[in-house]
Amino acid sequence: MLKLQNISVSYPDKTEAIANLSFTLNDGDNIALIGANGAGKTSLLLAIVGILEPAKGIVEIDGIQLNKKTVNEIRKCIGVVFQNPDDQLFMPLIYDDIAFGCRNFGLTEEVITARVAQTLNQLNISHLRNRSSLKLSGGEKRMAAIATVLAMEPSVLMFDEPTAFLDPKARRVLIEALKQLPHTKIIATHDMTFAAEVCNRVIVLKDGCVVTDGAVTLLHDKKIMENCGLEAIVNL
Amino acid sequence: MKNKIQELYALEQLSGGNTCVHRLHPMVKLLTTVFFIVIVVSFDRYAFGRLIPYIFYPTLLMALSETPHSMLLKRFLIALPFCLFAGIANIIFDRVSAFTIGSIVVSYGIVSFSTILFKTYLCVMAVLVLVSVTPLSEITISMRRLRMPYIFIILFEMTYRYIGVLFEEAYSMYIAYSLRSTNRKGIEMRDMGSFVGQLLLRSFDRADRVYNAMKCRGYALNSLPQSDRKLSQGDFVFCALTCFLYMAFRFVNVNALFAEILGGLN
Repeated sequence: MLKLQNISVSYPDKTEAIANLSFTLNDGDNIALIGANGAGKTSLLLAIVGILEPAKGIVEIDGIQLNKKTVNEIRKCIGVVFQNPDDQLFMPLIYDDIAFGCRNFGLTEEVITARVAQTLNQLNISHLRNRSSLKLSGGEKRMAAIATVLAMEPSVLMFDEPTAFLDPKARRVLIEALKQLPHTKIIATHDMTFAAEVCNRVIVLKDGCVVTDGAVTLLHDKKIMENCGLEAIVNL
Repeated sequence: MKNKIQELYALEQLSGGNTCVHRLHPMVKLLTTVFFIVIVVSFDRYAFGRLIPYIFYPTLLMALSETPHSMLLKRFLIALPFCLFAGIANIIFDRVSAFTIGSIVVSYGIVSFSTILFKTYLCVMAVLVLVSVTPLSEITISMRRLRMPYIFIILFEMTYRYIGVLFEEAYSMYIAYSLRSTNRKGIEMRDMGSFVGQLLLRSFDRADRVYNAMKCRGYALNSLPQSDRKLSQGDFVFCALTCFLYMAFRFVNVNALFAEILGGLN
Protein backbone atom coordinates (compact mmCIF):
# COMPACT_ATOMS: atom_id res chain seq x y z
CA MET A 1 0.00 0.00 0.00
CA LEU A 2 2.70 2.52 1.04
CA LYS A 3 6.01 1.81 -0.62
CA LEU A 4 9.29 3.60 -0.01
CA GLN A 5 12.11 2.72 -2.32
CA ASN A 6 15.69 3.95 -1.83
CA ILE A 7 14.63 7.25 -0.29
CA SER A 8 17.42 9.73 0.43
CA VAL A 9 16.82 13.12 1.97
CA SER A 10 19.44 15.81 2.51
CA TYR A 11 19.22 19.12 4.34
CA PRO A 12 20.24 22.31 2.53
CA ASP A 13 23.66 22.09 4.22
CA LYS A 14 24.09 18.71 2.45
CA THR A 15 23.80 16.70 5.69
CA GLU A 16 22.12 13.43 4.83
CA ALA A 17 19.03 12.92 6.99
CA ILE A 18 17.94 9.68 5.35
CA ALA A 19 20.05 7.40 3.20
CA ASN A 20 18.69 4.78 0.80
CA LEU A 21 15.79 3.84 3.00
CA SER A 22 13.24 1.31 1.78
CA PHE A 23 10.25 -0.41 3.31
CA THR A 24 6.70 -1.36 2.46
CA LEU A 25 3.70 -0.79 4.61
CA ASN A 26 0.66 -3.04 4.20
CA ASP A 27 -2.95 -2.23 5.01
CA GLY A 28 -3.58 -2.33 8.74
CA ASP A 29 0.10 -2.25 9.69
CA ASN A 30 0.97 -0.27 12.78
CA ILE A 31 4.62 0.59 12.51
CA ALA A 32 6.74 2.06 15.27
CA LEU A 33 9.57 4.11 13.82
CA ILE A 34 12.13 4.25 16.56
CA GLY A 35 15.57 5.71 16.80
CA ALA A 36 17.66 8.12 18.85
CA ASN A 37 17.44 11.91 18.40
CA GLY A 38 18.61 12.84 14.92
CA ALA A 39 18.10 9.33 13.55
CA GLY A 40 15.85 10.72 10.81
CA LYS A 41 12.37 9.81 12.08
CA THR A 42 10.76 13.23 11.59
CA SER A 43 12.61 13.81 8.32
CA LEU A 44 11.25 10.53 7.01
CA LEU A 45 7.67 11.46 7.94
CA LEU A 46 8.06 14.86 6.25
CA ALA A 47 9.60 13.27 3.16
CA ILE A 48 6.69 10.84 2.80
CA VAL A 49 4.23 13.75 2.45
CA GLY A 50 6.56 15.83 0.29
CA ILE A 51 7.34 18.56 2.80
CA LEU A 52 10.99 17.55 2.51
CA GLU A 53 11.78 16.72 -1.07
CA PRO A 54 13.60 13.39 -1.40
CA ALA A 55 16.88 13.79 -3.30
CA LYS A 56 16.23 10.38 -4.81
CA GLY A 57 13.94 7.40 -4.43
CA ILE A 58 10.25 6.72 -4.81
CA VAL A 59 7.35 7.21 -2.42
CA GLU A 60 4.21 5.47 -3.60
CA ILE A 61 0.82 5.13 -1.96
CA ASP A 62 -2.03 3.13 -3.54
CA GLY A 63 -0.19 3.29 -6.85
CA ILE A 64 0.25 7.08 -6.76
CA GLN A 65 3.86 8.19 -6.93
CA LEU A 66 4.87 11.30 -5.00
CA ASN A 67 5.78 14.20 -7.25
CA LYS A 68 4.86 17.88 -7.53
CA LYS A 69 1.61 17.10 -9.36
CA THR A 70 0.42 14.41 -6.97
CA VAL A 71 1.56 15.94 -3.70
CA ASN A 72 -1.93 17.14 -2.75
CA GLU A 73 -3.43 13.75 -3.54
CA ILE A 74 -0.78 12.08 -1.38
CA ARG A 75 -1.47 14.50 1.49
CA LYS A 76 -5.15 13.62 1.24
CA CYS A 77 -4.28 9.95 1.74
CA ILE A 78 -1.75 10.45 4.53
CA GLY A 79 -2.52 12.45 7.66
CA VAL A 80 0.36 13.77 9.75
CA VAL A 81 0.04 14.56 13.45
CA PHE A 82 2.95 16.77 14.44
CA GLN A 83 4.99 16.48 17.62
CA ASN A 84 3.81 19.79 19.04
CA PRO A 85 0.02 20.16 18.79
CA ASP A 86 0.44 23.95 18.98
CA ASP A 87 1.92 23.81 15.48
CA GLN A 88 -1.20 22.10 14.23
CA LEU A 89 -3.88 24.16 15.97
CA PHE A 90 -3.77 27.66 14.51
CA MET A 91 -7.41 28.58 13.94
CA PRO A 92 -9.57 30.50 16.44
CA LEU A 93 -11.77 27.51 17.26
CA ILE A 94 -11.17 23.76 17.31
CA TYR A 95 -14.07 23.41 14.86
CA ASP A 96 -12.23 25.60 12.33
CA ASP A 97 -9.03 23.69 12.86
CA ILE A 98 -10.74 20.38 12.14
CA ALA A 99 -12.56 21.86 9.16
CA PHE A 100 -9.38 23.45 7.74
CA GLY A 101 -8.16 20.39 5.82
CA CYS A 102 -11.64 19.47 4.56
CA ARG A 103 -12.13 22.99 3.24
CA ASN A 104 -8.81 22.88 1.41
CA PHE A 105 -9.83 19.61 -0.20
CA GLY A 106 -13.00 21.27 -1.50
CA LEU A 107 -15.69 19.55 0.59
CA THR A 108 -19.04 21.27 1.00
CA GLU A 109 -19.90 22.95 4.32
CA GLU A 110 -22.61 20.35 4.92
CA VAL A 111 -20.15 17.47 4.58
CA ILE A 112 -17.54 19.35 6.65
CA THR A 113 -19.98 19.91 9.52
CA ALA A 114 -20.91 16.22 9.52
CA ARG A 115 -17.28 15.10 9.39
CA VAL A 116 -16.24 17.41 12.22
CA ALA A 117 -19.09 16.13 14.39
CA GLN A 118 -18.27 12.51 13.58
CA THR A 119 -14.55 12.99 14.31
CA LEU A 120 -15.21 14.77 17.59
CA ASN A 121 -17.55 11.95 18.62
CA GLN A 122 -15.09 9.28 17.63
CA LEU A 123 -12.42 10.78 19.88
CA ASN A 124 -14.88 11.72 22.66
CA ILE A 125 -14.01 15.40 22.48
CA SER A 126 -17.31 16.89 21.31
CA HIS A 127 -17.13 19.37 24.19
CA LEU A 128 -14.08 20.99 22.59
CA ARG A 129 -15.91 21.94 19.38
CA ASN A 130 -16.23 25.64 20.09
CA ARG A 131 -13.19 26.06 22.32
CA SER A 132 -9.98 27.85 21.50
CA SER A 133 -6.81 25.75 21.47
CA LEU A 134 -5.24 28.32 23.79
CA LYS A 135 -7.45 27.10 26.61
CA LEU A 136 -6.89 23.36 26.27
CA SER A 137 -4.74 20.99 28.30
CA GLY A 138 -1.88 19.06 26.68
CA GLY A 139 -4.00 15.92 26.36
CA GLU A 140 -6.95 17.78 24.87
CA LYS A 141 -4.67 19.54 22.40
CA ARG A 142 -3.23 16.20 21.32
CA MET A 143 -6.69 14.73 20.71
CA ALA A 144 -7.77 17.87 18.84
CA ALA A 145 -4.64 17.65 16.67
CA ILE A 146 -5.50 14.05 15.82
CA ALA A 147 -9.06 15.13 15.00
CA THR A 148 -7.77 17.73 12.51
CA VAL A 149 -6.21 14.90 10.55
CA LEU A 150 -8.91 12.24 11.02
CA ALA A 151 -11.57 14.53 9.55
CA MET A 152 -9.75 14.36 6.21
CA GLU A 153 -10.37 10.58 6.25
CA PRO A 154 -6.85 9.54 5.29
CA SER A 155 -5.95 5.90 4.82
CA VAL A 156 -2.59 6.25 6.57
CA LEU A 157 -1.90 8.14 9.78
CA MET A 158 1.58 9.29 10.77
CA PHE A 159 2.38 10.47 14.28
CA ASP A 160 5.52 12.26 15.38
CA GLU A 161 6.23 11.62 19.06
CA PRO A 162 2.53 11.39 20.00
CA THR A 163 3.19 10.88 23.71
CA ALA A 164 5.33 14.02 24.06
CA PHE A 165 3.86 16.55 26.54
CA LEU A 166 1.35 14.03 27.92
CA ASP A 167 0.79 12.96 31.52
CA PRO A 168 0.18 9.23 32.22
CA LYS A 169 -3.60 9.60 32.13
CA ALA A 170 -3.63 11.50 28.85
CA ARG A 171 -1.11 8.99 27.49
CA ARG A 172 -3.46 6.15 28.39
CA VAL A 173 -6.39 7.91 26.71
CA LEU A 174 -4.25 8.36 23.61
CA ILE A 175 -3.21 4.70 23.55
CA GLU A 176 -6.84 3.56 23.78
CA ALA A 177 -7.86 6.03 21.07
CA LEU A 178 -5.10 4.88 18.72
CA LYS A 179 -5.99 1.24 19.28
CA GLN A 180 -9.55 2.02 18.20
CA LEU A 181 -8.46 3.65 14.94
CA PRO A 182 -8.53 1.13 12.09
CA HIS A 183 -6.08 3.15 9.97
CA THR A 184 -2.62 2.06 8.92
CA LYS A 185 -0.22 3.92 11.21
CA ILE A 186 3.39 5.01 11.30
CA ILE A 187 4.38 6.22 14.74
CA ALA A 188 7.74 7.89 15.30
CA THR A 189 8.47 7.58 18.99
CA HIS A 190 11.00 7.16 21.77
CA ASP A 191 8.37 5.70 24.04
CA MET A 192 9.10 1.98 23.86
CA THR A 193 6.26 0.73 26.02
CA PHE A 194 3.83 2.87 24.03
CA ALA A 195 5.22 1.40 20.79
CA ALA A 196 4.92 -2.11 22.18
CA GLU A 197 1.29 -1.55 23.11
CA VAL A 198 0.08 0.15 19.94
CA CYS A 199 2.23 -1.27 17.14
CA ASN A 200 2.69 -4.67 15.54
CA ARG A 201 5.90 -3.93 13.70
CA VAL A 202 9.07 -1.98 14.50
CA ILE A 203 11.54 -0.24 12.24
CA VAL A 204 14.70 0.88 13.98
CA LEU A 205 16.56 3.83 12.45
CA LYS A 206 20.12 4.93 13.00
CA ASP A 207 21.78 7.79 11.13
CA GLY A 208 19.04 7.79 8.53
CA CYS A 209 19.30 4.07 7.74
CA VAL A 210 17.13 1.11 8.71
CA VAL A 211 19.02 -1.01 11.23
CA THR A 212 16.34 -3.62 11.61
CA ASP A 213 12.69 -4.21 10.74
CA GLY A 214 10.61 -6.77 12.57
CA ALA A 215 8.11 -7.66 15.23
CA VAL A 216 7.65 -5.65 18.44
CA THR A 217 9.72 -8.22 20.30
CA LEU A 218 12.69 -6.29 18.91
CA LEU A 219 11.96 -3.66 21.52
CA HIS A 220 13.19 -6.15 24.14
CA ASP A 221 16.49 -6.73 22.35
CA LYS A 222 19.02 -4.97 24.54
CA LYS A 223 21.88 -5.25 22.06
CA ILE A 224 20.05 -3.68 19.12
CA MET A 225 18.47 -0.97 21.23
CA GLU A 226 21.71 0.06 22.90
CA ASN A 227 23.51 0.02 19.58
CA CYS A 228 20.97 2.59 18.33
CA GLY A 229 21.18 4.79 21.41
CA LEU A 230 17.93 3.48 22.86
CA GLU A 231 16.86 1.52 25.90
CA ALA A 232 15.24 -1.89 25.56
CA ILE A 233 12.06 -2.68 27.46
CA VAL A 234 12.99 -4.59 30.57
CA ASN A 235 10.90 -7.64 31.33
CA LEU A 236 9.94 -7.62 34.98
CA MET B 1 -0.14 35.89 28.55
CA LYS B 2 -2.44 33.25 27.15
CA ASN B 3 -5.32 35.57 27.97
CA LYS B 4 -3.62 38.36 26.02
CA ILE B 5 -3.28 36.11 23.00
CA GLN B 6 -6.84 34.98 23.51
CA GLU B 7 -7.90 38.64 23.52
CA LEU B 8 -6.03 39.14 20.29
CA TYR B 9 -8.16 36.55 18.56
CA ALA B 10 -11.38 37.33 20.46
CA LEU B 11 -12.64 39.46 17.60
CA GLU B 12 -12.29 36.63 15.12
CA GLN B 13 -14.10 34.30 17.48
CA LEU B 14 -17.15 36.54 17.12
CA SER B 15 -17.19 35.66 13.44
CA GLY B 16 -18.75 32.30 14.28
CA GLY B 17 -22.09 34.01 15.06
CA ASN B 18 -25.32 33.43 13.22
CA THR B 19 -26.91 36.84 12.68
CA CYS B 20 -28.10 38.15 9.33
CA VAL B 21 -24.78 39.99 8.88
CA HIS B 22 -22.77 36.84 9.62
CA ARG B 23 -24.82 34.96 7.04
CA LEU B 24 -24.02 37.43 4.23
CA HIS B 25 -21.64 36.13 1.58
CA PRO B 26 -18.03 36.97 2.57
CA MET B 27 -17.30 38.35 -0.89
CA VAL B 28 -20.16 40.84 -0.54
CA LYS B 29 -18.93 41.95 2.88
CA LEU B 30 -15.37 42.33 1.61
CA LEU B 31 -16.39 44.31 -1.47
CA THR B 32 -18.74 46.66 0.37
CA THR B 33 -16.05 47.31 3.00
CA VAL B 34 -13.41 48.08 0.37
CA PHE B 35 -15.85 50.33 -1.50
CA PHE B 36 -16.76 52.06 1.76
CA ILE B 37 -13.09 52.79 2.49
CA VAL B 38 -12.46 54.09 -1.03
CA ILE B 39 -15.46 56.43 -0.83
CA VAL B 40 -14.55 57.71 2.66
CA VAL B 41 -10.94 58.34 1.67
CA SER B 42 -12.04 60.20 -1.48
CA PHE B 43 -13.44 63.15 0.52
CA ASP B 44 -11.21 66.20 0.86
CA ARG B 45 -9.64 67.16 4.16
CA TYR B 46 -12.21 69.79 5.13
CA ALA B 47 -15.28 67.62 4.45
CA PHE B 48 -15.85 66.61 8.06
CA GLY B 49 -19.61 67.25 7.94
CA ARG B 50 -20.03 65.32 4.71
CA LEU B 51 -18.55 62.21 6.37
CA ILE B 52 -21.04 62.10 9.24
CA PRO B 53 -23.75 60.14 7.37
CA TYR B 54 -21.23 57.34 6.72
CA ILE B 55 -21.30 56.39 10.36
CA PHE B 56 -24.46 54.45 9.48
CA TYR B 57 -22.45 51.58 7.96
CA PRO B 58 -20.28 50.42 10.88
CA THR B 59 -22.96 51.32 13.44
CA LEU B 60 -25.74 49.44 11.68
CA LEU B 61 -23.57 46.40 11.06
CA MET B 62 -22.39 46.36 14.67
CA ALA B 63 -25.99 46.52 15.90
CA LEU B 64 -27.24 43.85 13.51
CA SER B 65 -24.33 41.50 14.19
CA GLU B 66 -24.51 42.06 17.96
CA THR B 67 -20.83 42.99 18.01
CA PRO B 68 -19.87 44.82 21.23
CA HIS B 69 -18.86 48.39 20.36
CA SER B 70 -16.42 48.60 23.26
CA MET B 71 -14.40 45.70 21.91
CA LEU B 72 -13.98 47.39 18.53
CA LEU B 73 -13.32 50.76 20.12
CA LYS B 74 -10.44 49.29 22.15
CA ARG B 75 -8.85 48.06 18.95
CA PHE B 76 -9.46 51.39 17.24
CA LEU B 77 -7.44 53.05 20.01
CA ILE B 78 -4.39 51.12 18.78
CA ALA B 79 -4.66 52.94 15.44
CA LEU B 80 -5.32 56.31 17.10
CA PRO B 81 -1.70 57.43 17.72
CA PHE B 82 -0.89 56.97 14.01
CA CYS B 83 -3.65 59.30 12.84
CA LEU B 84 -2.93 61.74 15.68
CA PHE B 85 0.64 62.06 14.47
CA ALA B 86 -0.51 62.33 10.86
CA GLY B 87 -2.97 65.11 11.65
CA ILE B 88 -1.29 67.13 14.38
CA ALA B 89 0.79 69.18 11.91
CA ASN B 90 -2.44 70.49 10.33
CA ILE B 91 -3.38 72.23 13.58
CA ILE B 92 0.02 73.89 13.81
CA PHE B 93 0.43 75.03 10.21
CA ASP B 94 -3.12 75.64 8.99
CA ARG B 95 -4.34 78.41 11.27
CA VAL B 96 -6.72 80.26 8.96
CA SER B 97 -10.09 80.69 10.60
CA ALA B 98 -12.80 78.48 9.17
CA PHE B 99 -15.72 79.45 11.41
CA THR B 100 -16.48 80.42 14.99
CA ILE B 101 -18.54 78.64 17.60
CA GLY B 102 -19.60 81.36 20.01
CA SER B 103 -16.35 83.10 20.75
CA ILE B 104 -14.15 80.11 19.85
CA VAL B 105 -12.39 80.36 16.51
CA VAL B 106 -12.10 77.06 14.70
CA SER B 107 -9.22 76.96 12.21
CA TYR B 108 -9.08 74.95 9.00
CA GLY B 109 -6.28 72.99 10.69
CA ILE B 110 -8.64 71.76 13.38
CA VAL B 111 -11.26 70.89 10.77
CA SER B 112 -8.76 68.87 8.70
CA PHE B 113 -7.38 67.22 11.86
CA SER B 114 -10.91 66.19 12.86
CA THR B 115 -11.55 64.90 9.34
CA ILE B 116 -8.43 62.70 9.44
CA LEU B 117 -9.45 61.39 12.83
CA PHE B 118 -13.00 60.67 11.71
CA LYS B 119 -11.90 59.07 8.43
CA THR B 120 -9.58 56.79 10.39
CA TYR B 121 -12.39 55.91 12.78
CA LEU B 122 -14.74 55.02 9.92
CA CYS B 123 -12.19 52.98 7.97
CA VAL B 124 -10.78 51.10 10.96
CA MET B 125 -14.27 50.37 12.29
CA ALA B 126 -15.40 49.09 8.89
CA VAL B 127 -12.45 46.68 8.78
CA LEU B 128 -12.95 45.58 12.38
CA VAL B 129 -16.63 44.92 11.75
CA LEU B 130 -15.68 42.88 8.68
CA VAL B 131 -13.27 40.75 10.73
CA SER B 132 -15.78 40.28 13.53
CA VAL B 133 -18.51 39.02 11.21
CA THR B 134 -16.44 37.03 8.70
CA PRO B 135 -13.96 34.22 9.47
CA LEU B 136 -10.47 35.17 8.31
CA SER B 137 -10.24 32.06 6.15
CA GLU B 138 -13.32 33.20 4.21
CA ILE B 139 -11.92 36.71 3.80
CA THR B 140 -8.70 35.34 2.34
CA ILE B 141 -10.60 32.94 0.07
CA SER B 142 -12.61 35.92 -1.21
CA MET B 143 -9.37 37.85 -1.74
CA ARG B 144 -8.01 34.95 -3.75
CA ARG B 145 -11.21 34.82 -5.79
CA LEU B 146 -10.77 38.52 -6.54
CA ARG B 147 -7.35 37.59 -7.97
CA MET B 148 -5.45 39.68 -5.47
CA PRO B 149 -1.69 38.98 -5.56
CA TYR B 150 -0.83 35.75 -3.71
CA ILE B 151 2.11 37.34 -1.97
CA PHE B 152 -0.16 40.00 -0.47
CA ILE B 153 -2.69 37.40 0.73
CA ILE B 154 -0.09 35.08 2.25
CA LEU B 155 1.57 38.01 4.01
CA PHE B 156 -1.79 39.10 5.37
CA GLU B 157 -2.76 35.60 6.51
CA MET B 158 0.61 34.66 7.97
CA THR B 159 1.11 37.97 9.78
CA TYR B 160 -2.25 37.56 11.43
CA ARG B 161 -1.62 33.94 12.39
CA TYR B 162 1.95 34.51 13.59
CA ILE B 163 1.26 37.44 15.90
CA GLY B 164 0.14 34.91 18.51
CA VAL B 165 3.11 32.65 17.76
CA LEU B 166 5.47 35.60 18.19
CA PHE B 167 3.85 36.55 21.51
CA GLU B 168 4.11 32.98 22.80
CA GLU B 169 7.77 32.65 21.82
CA ALA B 170 8.61 36.06 23.30
CA TYR B 171 6.83 35.17 26.53
CA SER B 172 8.54 31.80 27.03
CA MET B 173 11.93 33.40 26.25
CA TYR B 174 11.22 36.22 28.66
CA ILE B 175 10.29 33.78 31.44
CA ALA B 176 13.49 31.78 30.84
CA TYR B 177 15.49 35.04 30.86
CA SER B 178 13.94 36.49 33.99
CA LEU B 179 14.39 33.22 35.93
CA ARG B 180 18.12 33.49 35.36
CA SER B 181 18.46 37.23 35.98
CA THR B 182 17.70 37.91 39.63
CA ASN B 183 16.77 41.40 40.86
CA ARG B 184 16.35 42.73 37.36
CA LYS B 185 13.21 43.98 35.72
CA GLY B 186 12.79 43.68 31.99
CA ILE B 187 15.56 42.84 29.58
CA GLU B 188 18.98 44.49 29.89
CA MET B 189 19.93 46.62 26.90
CA ARG B 190 23.09 44.58 26.35
CA ASP B 191 21.00 41.39 26.05
CA MET B 192 18.36 42.95 23.86
CA GLY B 193 20.18 42.29 20.56
CA SER B 194 20.59 38.58 21.10
CA PHE B 195 17.10 38.32 22.63
CA VAL B 196 15.42 39.88 19.60
CA GLY B 197 17.66 37.93 17.23
CA GLN B 198 16.82 34.65 18.94
CA LEU B 199 13.15 35.57 18.98
CA LEU B 200 13.23 36.16 15.24
CA LEU B 201 14.96 32.85 14.56
CA ARG B 202 12.66 30.91 16.87
CA SER B 203 9.55 32.52 15.42
CA PHE B 204 10.82 31.76 11.93
CA ASP B 205 11.34 28.14 12.90
CA ARG B 206 7.92 27.87 14.52
CA ALA B 207 6.24 29.62 11.60
CA ASP B 208 7.85 27.08 9.30
CA ARG B 209 6.41 24.21 11.34
CA VAL B 210 2.93 25.76 11.35
CA TYR B 211 3.14 26.26 7.58
CA ASN B 212 4.19 22.61 7.15
CA ALA B 213 1.17 21.54 9.20
CA MET B 214 -1.03 23.67 6.94
CA LYS B 215 0.47 22.16 3.79
CA CYS B 216 -0.07 18.65 5.16
CA ARG B 217 -3.75 19.45 5.34
CA GLY B 218 -3.99 20.51 1.73
CA TYR B 219 -3.18 24.22 2.01
CA ALA B 220 -1.77 25.38 -1.29
CA LEU B 221 -1.46 28.97 -2.39
CA ASN B 222 -1.99 28.32 -6.05
CA SER B 223 -5.13 26.24 -5.69
CA LEU B 224 -8.36 27.89 -4.78
CA PRO B 225 -10.50 26.04 -2.21
CA GLN B 226 -13.90 25.28 -3.69
CA SER B 227 -16.88 26.85 -2.01
CA ASP B 228 -20.47 25.77 -2.13
CA ARG B 229 -21.71 29.18 -1.02
CA LYS B 230 -23.71 30.94 -3.67
CA LEU B 231 -24.74 34.59 -3.70
CA SER B 232 -28.29 34.90 -2.44
CA GLN B 233 -30.93 37.52 -3.15
CA GLY B 234 -30.21 39.04 0.27
CA ASP B 235 -26.54 39.45 -0.67
CA PHE B 236 -27.47 41.35 -3.83
CA VAL B 237 -29.93 43.56 -1.94
CA PHE B 238 -27.38 44.34 0.78
CA CYS B 239 -24.67 45.11 -1.77
CA ALA B 240 -26.91 47.30 -3.93
CA LEU B 241 -28.38 49.17 -0.98
CA THR B 242 -25.11 49.97 0.76
CA CYS B 243 -23.38 50.96 -2.47
CA PHE B 244 -26.33 53.17 -3.41
CA LEU B 245 -26.17 54.91 -0.03
CA TYR B 246 -22.39 55.39 -0.24
CA MET B 247 -22.78 57.00 -3.67
CA ALA B 248 -25.77 59.08 -2.61
CA PHE B 249 -23.87 60.46 0.40
CA ARG B 250 -20.87 61.08 -1.84
CA PHE B 251 -22.65 63.07 -4.54
CA VAL B 252 -25.49 64.62 -2.56
CA ASN B 253 -24.70 66.93 0.33
CA VAL B 254 -27.08 65.34 2.82
CA ASN B 255 -26.32 67.92 5.52
CA ALA B 256 -27.19 70.83 3.21
CA LEU B 257 -30.31 68.97 2.08
CA PHE B 258 -31.44 68.52 5.68
CA ALA B 259 -30.69 72.16 6.43
CA GLU B 260 -32.76 73.19 3.42
CA ILE B 261 -35.65 70.96 4.45
CA LEU B 262 -35.52 72.20 8.01
CA GLY B 263 -35.27 75.81 6.74
CA GLY B 264 -38.32 75.22 4.55
CA LEU B 265 -40.25 73.86 7.52
CA ASN B 266 -39.41 76.96 9.58
